[in-house]
Order: sequence, then C-alpha cells, then structure tokens
Amino acid sequence: MTTLNRRRFLQTSAATGLAAGLPGLAHAQDPLGIALVVPSPVGEVGWSHALAMGLEPIKAEYGDGVNITILENIPEGPDADRIMNKVVSDGTRVLVAGSFGYQNGAMQIARRNPDVTVLHASGFMVAPNFSPFAAKYFQGTYLMGMAAAALSKTGKLGSVSAFAIPELITSINAFALGAQSVNPDVEVSVVWVNSWFDPAQEQDAAKALLAQGCDVIFSNAQDTPSVVSVCEEAGAYVFNLNSSMKANAPNFYLGCVETDWSPFFVESVKAHMDGTFEGRNAFLGVEDGVVKIVDWNPDIPAETKARIDETAAGIADGSFHPFTGRIVRQDETVGVEDGETLSDEAIVSMDWHVAGVTTPLPK
Amino acid sequence: MMGYRMIRRTTASRRMAVLAPLAALLAAIVLNFVLYLLMGKDPGAVFYAMLLEPFISWNSFAEVLLKMTPLLLIAQGLAIGFRAKVINIGAEGQFVLGAIFASSVPVWFPQATGWWLWPLMLLLGAIGGALWAALPAFWRVRLNASEILVTLMMNLIAAQLLAYLLVGPWKDPMGFNFPQTVMFQWDAMVPTLFPGTRVNVALILALVWSVLAWVYMQRSFQGYQLVVGGLAPHATAYAGFSEGRAVWLSLLIGGFAAGLAGAAEVAGPLGQLQRGIASGYGYAAIIVAYLGGLHPVGIVFSSLFMAALYIGGDNAMVSAGLPASAVEVFQGSLLVCYLAAIVLVRYRFARPAEVAA
Repeated sequence: MTTLNRRRFLQTSAATGLAAGLPGLAHAQDPLGIALVVPSPVGEVGWSHALAMGLEPIKAEYGDGVNITILENIPEGPDADRIMNKVVSDGTRVLVAGSFGYQNGAMQIARRNPDVTVLHASGFMVAPNFSPFAAKYFQGTYLMGMAAAALSKTGKLGSVSAFAIPELITSINAFALGAQSVNPDVEVSVVWVNSWFDPAQEQDAAKALLAQGCDVIFSNAQDTPSVVSVCEEAGAYVFNLNSSMKANAPNFYLGCVETDWSPFFVESVKAHMDGTFEGRNAFLGVEDGVVKIVDWNPDIPAETKARIDETAAGIADGSFHPFTGRIVRQDETVGVEDGETLSDEAIVSMDWHVAGVTTPLPK
Repeated sequence: MMGYRMIRRTTASRRMAVLAPLAALLAAIVLNFVLYLLMGKDPGAVFYAMLLEPFISWNSFAEVLLKMTPLLLIAQGLAIGFRAKVINIGAEGQFVLGAIFASSVPVWFPQATGWWLWPLMLLLGAIGGALWAALPAFWRVRLNASEILVTLMMNLIAAQLLAYLLVGPWKDPMGFNFPQTVMFQWDAMVPTLFPGTRVNVALILALVWSVLAWVYMQRSFQGYQLVVGGLAPHATAYAGFSEGRAVWLSLLIGGFAAGLAGAAEVAGPLGQLQRGIASGYGYAAIIVAYLGGLHPVGIVFSSLFMAALYIGGDNAMVSAGLPASAVEVFQGSLLVCYLAAIVLVRYRFARPAEVAA
C-alpha cells in the first residue's frame, strides 16, 4: 500500500496535469483561441484600442494558427461574466480580461479551467494560470511632469482622472514629482470623474480645471479625446496615456505615454503554447518595451528636453526611479525616506498623494 | 399617401396579432441579412447565434431566464402605473436603491450567517425601492410636480448616492480603493435553482409577482379604479376615485418591484455592490412593459423576448464576430419593425374617399 505523502501527491498531480494536457496535443492543428474583453468601444484611440493593438503582432506571427476574438463595450458585472464564460466554452484558451472590474469573474474562470490562461488588466489577484498586468505609467508621467512645469505659466497643473485607484494615483504623483523637479512650487489639482468612459463629464472636468488657472492638463485614463480637444481649443498643453491623440490637438499636444502591450501578449501566448506559462504580477515599464513616450511637443525648451532625455535614459537603465525619497505626503508626513525607493508592491497599492497635489483623495 | 389616414380597426384580428411579430422578425432578418453580407459576415452564423442559440442551448437559455428576471419584475410593476397614466421613468434609480438597501446587510454584518439573510435583503431592497419612489409620489400629490421629470431626475441622484457609497463609506477596505464593496457571504446570496447555472429563486418571485399583477389588474376593484383613472381621469374624479391615491399606489408598487429586482441582482449574479449594478434594466423594462401591451401575460412574453435578444446579441458578438454596434442595429431594427407591425394590427389605411365619406 502506498502512503500519500506530499511528494507522491505532487507526482500524481503532475501526472494528472500532463494527462489533461494530452488531448490538446492531438488537436495541435486547431487554431489557438484568444479573446480580448474590453469595457469600452475599441475605436481609434485609448485604453481598449491599445489592448486590441497589442494583439496585432500575434496575428502577424501566427496567422491562421490563432483565432482572435475582440469583445468590446462589455459592462463590468454579470454580463461580462457570462460573455467570458461563453468565449471559454466556445474554445478560447487565452483570455485577456481588459478591465479591473472583470477580476472576480475572470478568476473564477481561471480556477475552473486550468488549461485556460487569463491575463487580467490592473488587478491584484494571481493564480498559476492567471496573471494581472499593469503598466508603469508613472515612468512616463514623471517625464511629462518635467515638460509641463517648464511650459506652465501659472505653475498650476491639472488632471482629469477616472477612478482613485492606485494605478491612477501613482501616475498623478509621478506627474507632480516630475514637475517639482523642474519647478518646486508647482501645484497639481485633480478632478475624479468616476467613470472610464463619459466624454461629457470629462470635458466639463477639463473646463473646470482650466477655469481654475491650470494651463497643462493630464488626461488620466480617458478613452476618448474629450479632454484633449477641450485643451486644444483653450490653448492649454495636454497629454494622455495609452495611444496618441495628437490628431485631436495638433498644436498643444504635449506627448503621449503610450502603452505597447504586444511584448507581454506575445510572450504570454508563446508561454501558453509551450506549456510554460506561470501566473505572475506583471508590472511592465519602459524596460519591458511596454511604456513608450511618443509625439513630444517641439515647444518644450531645449534645455528641459535635454534633462528629460537624460532622466528617461536613467529610468530605462534602472539608475533613476521616480519614487526615490525623500518624498513628502500630502498630509506632510514622510512617504519615502531619503535615499529609499518604493518597492513595486508599495507602488501598486499606493493610496496617498505626494505634497503638491492639492486635491484630497476621495476617502 | 396624400390624404390617406389611419383608422383604428374595430376589432383586431387574432390571427394578425400572432402573425405580426413573426412578420416583424422576418423583415428585420431580411434588412440585416443585407447588412451582414455587406460587412462580410456569414448571416447564417449570425442568426443562429442570435435567434436560435438562446433557446436551444441550455446554458444560453438559463442566461436568458436570469436576464429576464429583473426585466419581468420591473416591467410588471411599471405597467400598473402606466395603465393608470402615472409615468414612472425612475425604475433605474429605484432598482439602484433596492440594491443599496439589500447590500447594507452584508456590508455592515459581513460575518452574519443564517437562512434568513437573503430573504431579509430582498425585503429591504423592495422597501428601499418603494421609499425612493415615495418621494416623487409625495411631490406629485402635494405640489403637482410632474412625476415623469422627478422620477427621471431621481435616477441621477441614485447614481450619485451609489458612487458616494462605493468610493466612500462602503468601499472594500482590502480592495485597493476600487469602487466596490466586499464580496457577500454565502448566506447573503439568493440560492440558485438549477446547478451549473446562475438562475436563482428571484425568477420564481418574478413569476409569482406576475400572477399577482394579473389578479390585481384584471380582477380587483382597486386595479379597475387605476385603469379607469388612466383612461378617463375626469370620469373617475366624478365617481369619487382619488387621483392622489392612484399616484401613490402606482409609484409605490413600481418602486417596490424595481427595488426587489435590484436586491435580487446584487444578491444574485453580482455578489457585491459595484457600479455595474446600474446597467439600464430600469429603462429597458419600460420598453418591455409597452411591448407586452401593458398586460401581465404579454409582459411575461416580452421580457423573455427582450432577454433573449440581449443574450443572442452577446452570442453573436462572441461566436460570429459581430461588432457590438451591429448587434444594436439588429435589436433596434427588430423593435422598430415590431412596433410598425403592431400599429398595422390595430389600425388600417383608409383611402381618401373613404375618409371623406
């Protein structure tokens, strides 16, 4: 009689896992089903567009070997759960859940279907077949802050922001820190619109910030050029995340903190095909080729631009980190001690603003 | 068409009443068939996913029943008011308040256990929806403020209240500042009816509610008063029926049902209070109520039909690669064709000579 010890248990599980994987080999010719679920229309610009573009190189590389389905405009909640279940039961084996709100439903799918790989945007849960992924936007917004401070006449910067979640808070904080590295007296005001997609409210928020004297605006996680076009009209510099909106602001577009998800998607799909996928917290930045700055505005003074390029090189090679102390919090306590650098864990759960951001966080 | 008039038929033919929806479906299919060909999609695959799969695949049909539940509950409640000409556009807000009231139990008592937890939540939700509807009823009766405007505005207030709770006092402390509450404990979830699906006890409640609505509207004196009040307000006033009472009853019943639906949604497929709760059921139910001819039996069918359209549309997106906007075009064109067909069942074109005579 064999006794069940930990080692034997692991062996058996591994064998079961292998056996479960075998039927897949028999159908090696079937195209790999990949599905992307996003909360807003893919459109021409923005978050969902960037995610969809990230799958293009996979299409180019594998051709008929993959079958990519894009499901746009799926509200978070029971509908998303149903649709994700449906694509998986229809044969999808790599699921990209493109919004935080899909987390619980996507995690359930990952648990019930060990042969499905799930990539989940901006979450915090991890499982062997479930990787949350997020971009280090703060690397780019720090540089944008430097440019914004050099161009601002009022010393007041503004941000129209979607939700007060860590990802967006860190982007604003780095924006403020970058600006302060050029002009220590710069202040940043924030309007939280509590929506990923509400063009009318976003425009109102941008107008409110402009009326308060802000003359450079950070469009933080808007999927439409709503804020960007208002700023162009008002003659205020503006930048955004994910994909370039220069066409909507030919004169006052400061630049774009672009996300190119393809290196991560390609790597994950390859790992899934090889059977080597391991769920991890994928926090991706300039060094991974995911965060890129494009369309810098030529109005940025040459001297500032040289400093920005120098800082950018430092971020890329790891010699400079935007969240290196001493950083003081909004409430005047010390957030990061002198010489210390925030860990990734501390960054992804950041729930405080740095000094210089004047708007209190919604509590 | 100059001079042509539409004349109400003295009797609507029963055969036409059955054929009209089928004709509408056929017309919508033909229109969209052309669209799909132009888009380079396989129309057969699209129509299979959209129209047949919701009914022949058990998983899809279970989802249809799940989706039908809130539509049926809300539409039955609204129809009572609509027949009394009390136009409640605020079901969306009443739905949200129902969800908020129900969520108060698991949010404040996350450790509580007991079989009575989810029934208490449903009851609280229904009360919450009725209270939210009581405000416009009060303003209508006391200040003669239009209930259409007030209920509509109160939807916006409900959305703000929800946002306030989610980013403020009710935010999940372990949720990284995301605007949502904790996940509800097991006892705070409405039990499912069939294993492997998400259909829950609320479907039975919705069907029972439909029977009650039928008894109330077709068989009770109070229901008769409401209907007559809607048809001939002056006559009912002479007969001594109170208009204020009709307003109160209509809005409270509508709010009660919408609140119950909101509670069942948050304690059912959602499992936590989050922004996604306000997904437009309150507005869709208005269409359901009118599609069902404001009749309790008709509404059972129209809610099933609308739910199948939603699920079918999602299926078409998933299986046939149809973009979301094309799904909406199909749903919209089907509704337009259906409404046109209904008009032709009730009315006929009369030649100018006939009109003159």
